[in-house]
Amino acid sequence: MRKRNALAAMALVAMVGMPFGNAGAFDESKYPNWKGQWMRADTGTPRYDPTKPSGRGQQAPLKPEFQAFLEASLAEQRTGGQGGDPTYTCLSPGMPRIMNNYEGAEFVITPDTTHILMEHIHDSRRIYTDGRPWPAFIEPTFAGYSLGTWIDEGGTGRYNVLEIESRGFKGPRSYDNTGLPLHPDNQSVFKERIYQDKADPNILVVEITTIDNALTRPWTATKKYRRVQNPRPVWRESVCAENNAHVEIGGQGYMLSADGVLMPAKKDQAPPNLRYFTPAQN
Amino acid sequence: MLTRIAIHAVAIAAMLCAAPSGAFAFDPATYPNLKGQWIGVRGTAGGGQPSFDPVKRWGTTQDAPLTPEYEAMFKANLEDQRAGGQGTNATSTCLAPGMPMVMNAHSPMEIIVLPETTYIRVDHIRDTRRRIYTDGRDWPSEIEPTFDGYSIGKWIDTDGDGRYDLLEVETRAFKGPRSYDASGLPLHRDNKSVFKERIYLDKANPNLLHDDITVIDNGLTRPWTVMKTYRRNANPRPIWVEYICAEGQQLVRIGNENYMLSGDGLLMPTRKGQTPPDLRYFSRK
Repeated sequence: MRKRNALAAMALVAMVGMPFGNAGAFDESKYPNWKGQWMRADTGTPRYDPTKPSGRGQQAPLKPEFQAFLEASLAEQRTGGQGGDPTYTCLSPGMPRIMNNYEGAEFVITPDTTHILMEHIHDSRRIYTDGRPWPAFIEPTFAGYSLGTWIDEGGTGRYNVLEIESRGFKGPRSYDNTGLPLHPDNQSVFKERIYQDKADPNILVVEITTIDNALTRPWTATKKYRRVQNPRPVWRESVCAENNAHVEIGGQGYMLSADGVLMPAKKDQAPPNLRYFTPAQN
Repeated sequence: MLTRIAIHAVAIAAMLCAAPSGAFAFDPATYPNLKGQWIGVRGTAGGGQPSFDPVKRWGTTQDAPLTPEYEAMFKANLEDQRAGGQGTNATSTCLAPGMPMVMNAHSPMEIIVLPETTYIRVDHIRDTRRRIYTDGRDWPSEIEPTFDGYSIGKWIDTDGDGRYDLLEVETRAFKGPRSYDASGLPLHRDNKSVFKERIYLDKANPNLLHDDITVIDNGLTRPWTVMKTYRRNANPRPIWVEYICAEGQQLVRIGNENYMLSGDGLLMPTRKGQTPPDLRYFSRK
């Protein structure tokens, strides 16, 4: 796959052959002021639809097969396991969970790309707004490949909506920590509209529509982020592997005690197989 | 410390009571063109993984001016690695590389220049996004330590042509453990390192970027300066590979020991004669 990427890149260079332009003023006044640090406005467990409780309460339009997966995930979590939540070993949450905005977001707007910098496990995104078409081949990623268009709704002379479409995923991904699943075929498509609340410019609205083969219909949720009223906010550094007490061995999740000793995560969980140690311990 | 920071943040907010401003024309022509994807250039003497001084091989040939204590720690680390361990290479368990290892550019680097902040994105182990503040701020009275540190920068027009051509950066306030590269070459555990960087385009070739990094660290007998060079990918729409350390991670750290996972997911020793993990908390054996 990497080789195909390299070939695609070489072909693109030969085809485009364009330099890196730096000329021309970037008139920030044409773009909305999304500077600063944005925290999610909702409370409780970060979730896809913040207006509803997490897990079953999300009322996701899942197909029966995936509703059963969610039920099994919740049952497993009740016994101490991780169920269908893939991020406990520090896998990237990917889309759309990234936009749950766990620990603060920054929007870095340039004419060619809007960077959404998220302080969580591995969550930052690039939204290309340079008018490019979809590439013939996209290396799948957890964050996906995103094309955006700035819109001046109302003809104010200033962009006020960023429309985004994201494709090209890998998995496993879930909507939140309950394990609410996306389809493992990773054919999800996300359409987003991001804009400031007309009444309060310190509220950012993120409308996300998920089109996924685990759903019976497209599923739309509206998220709100609130801007921190500190022009020089503190950006925490979230390093998932630091002090992560979860360990996965042979597909089983275990815990580490405070003194670093392996522990079961569930009642009566069998210890890991130690057959490769000499003398055999298990 | 977080509570103190929260109080601090509230105090700053009350003091400034200002929303982030957004409207003014930013003329990129005033700044050097750092757009695109930058790939670390390794010297011809290289080999192995990217090293701090890119013109020298990683390991003992870096000739780092380590204090005797840290030289001994480094040698013990190399011994451990020869035996199958990871020594003082903290990134083996997906910990953030932090400074200065992040600037080794294991993965391609992007630099985003805006008037108030220059961002450096490197997707290796962590999706690192260094924020270099160029808004004229002073050092905060208290800084939450991080692997990447807190960076203040200043754009300079060295030849008076009306265009900035040099970014000077100072970075402080770290946490650890950190090493210069995957050989485990250690920084001092007191995390009082200071980095001074000069970032500029090559005068003869604008597709080469240099970063002169000087490390001031209590694990060194004197400041240590190296020049890193990055080459701009000629593709204006490069592919940005996503690097998820936890994906396919074969190393598992339990207590102070590193183990490997076999192809079938079973725990294996990394060293000859390594004892298995303590299973005292399991009732089923």
